[in-house]
Amino acid sequence: MSSRTDAEWCTELGGAAPDAALADLRGLLLRGLQFALVSYRVTENDLEDFVQDGLLKILHELSSYRGDARFTTWAHKVCVRVALTELRRRRWRDVSLDDLIVANEMSDFTPDVLMDHSADPGQTAPVQMMMATIQRIIAEELTERQRTAMMAVMQGGMPLQEVAERMGTNRNALYKLLHDARQRLQKRMMQGDDTPRTARNV
Amino acid sequence: MKIHNLFRQFWRRKPHPSPDVSSASMHQMHVALSMVAQTQAQELSCDEVYALLDIFADRVKRGEDAAALMPLVHQHLAMCPDCREEFEALLRAMEAK
Ligand SMILES: [Zn+2]
Repeated sequence: MSSRTDAEWCTELGGAAPDAALADLRGLLLRGLQFALVSYRVTENDLEDFVQDGLLKILHELSSYRGDARFTTWAHKVCVRVALTELRRRRWRDVSLDDLIVANEMSDFTPDVLMDHSADPGQTAPVQMMMATIQRIIAEELTERQRTAMMAVMQGGMPLQEVAERMGTNRNALYKLLHDARQRLQKRMMQGDDTPRTARNV
Repeated sequence: MKIHNLFRQFWRRKPHPSPDVSSASMHQMHVALSMVAQTQAQELSCDEVYALLDIFADRVKRGEDAAALMPLVHQHLAMCPDCREEFEALLRAMEAK
């Protein structure tokens, strides 16, 4: 089975008698997923299901395989995406964005050191100032949606896939939203002007 | 203090500059600011990266400098936890014989 070339995989799977290639590919994907998901909580049944769904997707998308990568790499990629999409869904099923915001006090980037009243004021003052400045820039530069998305991903650790679903968008669009947010922050931080916007506008 | 000096100073810091200042939120802030610093005007979308991820992974496995050959994919993987998770899982899957 390992002797098949990329072209042979495609011809066999897309041909009239795909059974042998399908069985080999199933075995390959199953061993691959066992390795790939070694640190995840998955059962043998889960793995079988993921591979089954992965195989269907592979057959469905066979014509999109261009031969730029090895066929088995492409197939593993499709199967890994199927498995992780489902695992993320399961893991975050019961968590809302509001839960995350409360749990992480997301409107507030206050580090623990500032809560520690025994800490040396000479050390906490610059940190405090920096954090306050960053908070102000975030508040001034980002839209509500950008702030929510950035906090959920960066502080809450929620996958883009899951944040996107909760915000009524998709992963691609959410990445773009976060990219725009990072660009705004970068631009502002490079300006060399930390005067609050309200003061400048007066 | 000029704000760009502030951030330059912040980015130069280690995530845990001293035991007293170490905290999860400082670390998160450091990661977030590093990402802001590394932001490019043009970045690939998740779909574009997905289309190239197998090629990128093959190059990594062949011992090529995939990051230099495909810098935009490399950059997206640094910015996007979902694509990074999928890439790392893909590399492990490729280890299976
Ligand atoms: Zn991505």
